[in-house]
Amino acid sequence: MARHTPNGIVQAMQSLRISNSLASRPNIPSLRYATRKYATEVQPESATETVIATETEIQIEAEAETSMKTQKVKAAPAINFEKFNIAPARIIPASPSYFSGSPRFIDHVLRLEALQAKFAHLPIVDAAEAPRMAWLKLAQFRDFVGEPVPVKKYKSLLKILQSMNRIAPDMVPGEVRDSLASFLRPGNPYSTQHSPREVDEMGRARAKGKRKESTAVVQLVEGEGEVLVNGKSLVEVFQRLHDRESALWPLRCVDRLDKYNVWATVHGGGVTGQAEAITLAIARALLLHEPGLKSSLRKAGVITVDARRVERKKAGHVKARKMPTWVKR
Amino acid sequence: MIVRQLGVRQSRQLLALSRRAPASSRFFSSEIPVDTAIQTPTQESIEPLPIAASIPKAQNPLHEVVQVSQAPQGKWAQWEKSKSKFNSLGSLTKDAFDPEDVIRNPPSPSDITLELLLASGTHLGHSTSRWNPQNSRYIFGVREGVHIIALDVTAAYLRRAAKVVEEVAARGGIILFAGTRKGQKRAVVRAAELAGAYHIFERWIPGSLTNGQQILGHCETKVVNAFDKELPDFKQDLADRPSVKPDLVICLNPIENVVLLHECGLNNVPTIGICDTDADPTRLTYPIPANDDSLRSTSLIAGVLGRAGQAGQARRLKMAEEGKLTYEPITVHELKVDPFTGFMPGTEGQKKD
Repeated sequence: MARHTPNGIVQAMQSLRISNSLASRPNIPSLRYATRKYATEVQPESATETVIATETEIQIEAEAETSMKTQKVKAAPAINFEKFNIAPARIIPASPSYFSGSPRFIDHVLRLEALQAKFAHLPIVDAAEAPRMAWLKLAQFRDFVGEPVPVKKYKSLLKILQSMNRIAPDMVPGEVRDSLASFLRPGNPYSTQHSPREVDEMGRARAKGKRKESTAVVQLVEGEGEVLVNGKSLVEVFQRLHDRESALWPLRCVDRLDKYNVWATVHGGGVTGQAEAITLAIARALLLHEPGLKSSLRKAGVITVDARRVERKKAGHVKARKMPTWVKR
Repeated sequence: MIVRQLGVRQSRQLLALSRRAPASSRFFSSEIPVDTAIQTPTQESIEPLPIAASIPKAQNPLHEVVQVSQAPQGKWAQWEKSKSKFNSLGSLTKDAFDPEDVIRNPPSPSDITLELLLASGTHLGHSTSRWNPQNSRYIFGVREGVHIIALDVTAAYLRRAAKVVEEVAARGGIILFAGTRKGQKRAVVRAAELAGAYHIFERWIPGSLTNGQQILGHCETKVVNAFDKELPDFKQDLADRPSVKPDLVICLNPIENVVLLHECGLNNVPTIGICDTDADPTRLTYPIPANDDSLRSTSLIAGVLGRAGQAGQARRLKMAEEGKLTYEPITVHELKVDPFTGFMPGTEGQKKD
């Protein structure tokens, strides 16, 4: 458009020439701009407004003519000098990283990196001493930014967060604290401190143990060495001597067989699993009574959790790993 | 005197053995013990050192250190402050090269000199066997099997590119800085920040221009006025619009970004790029013959173009202050009308005016 070019004089001369030559012709909308006086009036939208409003205008004019004699015409509204401010000029991307395809994520990364560089001089503490933070999980983060962020990129963002989290807790600037807080998932799962288990007021120590598919819960009380498993005696439940030995091994190896009564409930799995689940449960309960026994129980191997489980059967195999016998044809 | 060794040395070998005096030997000192000014930290925080008190406060660099506040943040701030006071002591380093300088404070196009280009290593091309003969007019000669780019040509082309960037910025164009090589990130982001432009420092997603609706469709856009202030009233009119296309693309590593340049060519988007001796200059609208493998060279060129863009944006905003638009603005009608069908919302199927 001619009227926007800075070289105004030439354009003005040209437009004058055009308007002179076209003087005889009817008024063309595009030439109406030549009569403008102020650059601030540059409002091409007015052309469209007139186009849209032609029908209504005609109606209004018709009404005005009829009511001219009866009613006084109102004054025109005040001139809006701020029109240049409210006129749209361009459509531009909202973020400088628009063309990357994931602008919000990249903006977050750049902002965090700038913060990291800004406060790089602050003293840091050991990673173990830094407060434990529950950062957003990947799925939550994807919801948060609304973009499909790859795992690797989210990990690199977490690295920045972790390194900023290591700033000495009493020196953390408010800016850093706020931006770190925006990446935390709601509710702090690390805020609740689990109180260590203790012997209750009745003198019972309660502990759980697992082995294979079995789960055992043991209540250990000081007593004369009575043992009840699911309300039955030990001999009834475990017919093999080896199982009975292994179930009570934590008490036997530290000579406490006649000092505690055991009341155990166990379910799931087979006989060996149940016996060894009781072993672990008794050992843990015994530690509540006498924490000093930990090293000898550790040496006896009764507080070590055996996390092995049955391996699943695979397709194409007879069992978990066994292959069918090879047949020539 | 300190008696270092009580026993008589037995042999020459032992004599030759240079052992450090054990810590206990200081207790064998024959001198009279003197009280040294050792103070516990708690005392230090309460009353200043006797020596420090004798020096007037203005001259004493330890003045801040002595008055320690209790809050750790304040303590740290004072420690930093006192450290900065000591920075002025000692020898001064002048004209030292700071690799951060070209990113933090890049030179403007008027600062381009052949010395600066030479110092930044922009003249170093590739091995002669890898050359693209189309670059022969930019090549000054061969040295140790490597092509040397003519610096006067580089300077001229860089100035021309800076002019282009400035004019595009002054006309409200959308400029995209692309540098996808490792280490170019900061220079690219900084240049885009200066020029009010856009940046891409990771992989260019193929189809961002040719298939923009699919790839950039979800990215936010905004309507701004002549002063670049957002106009939130038009937000709902932006829903079904084609994605924004850049008006100028500046590519720091054109060899790796063939797809980007191809898409720019398809969409008639002019490109500026650093054209090393092995690159194809015909892929770029405004090539800048220079070394694209050195980060120092690419950051310098990105910085110069960023500064040019900054000048252009400043000019555009100044014109807007005077009420002049340097470009054809989008009209309300264009915003309201459906870009694909050409109908106003709610008038689908009716006769178009």
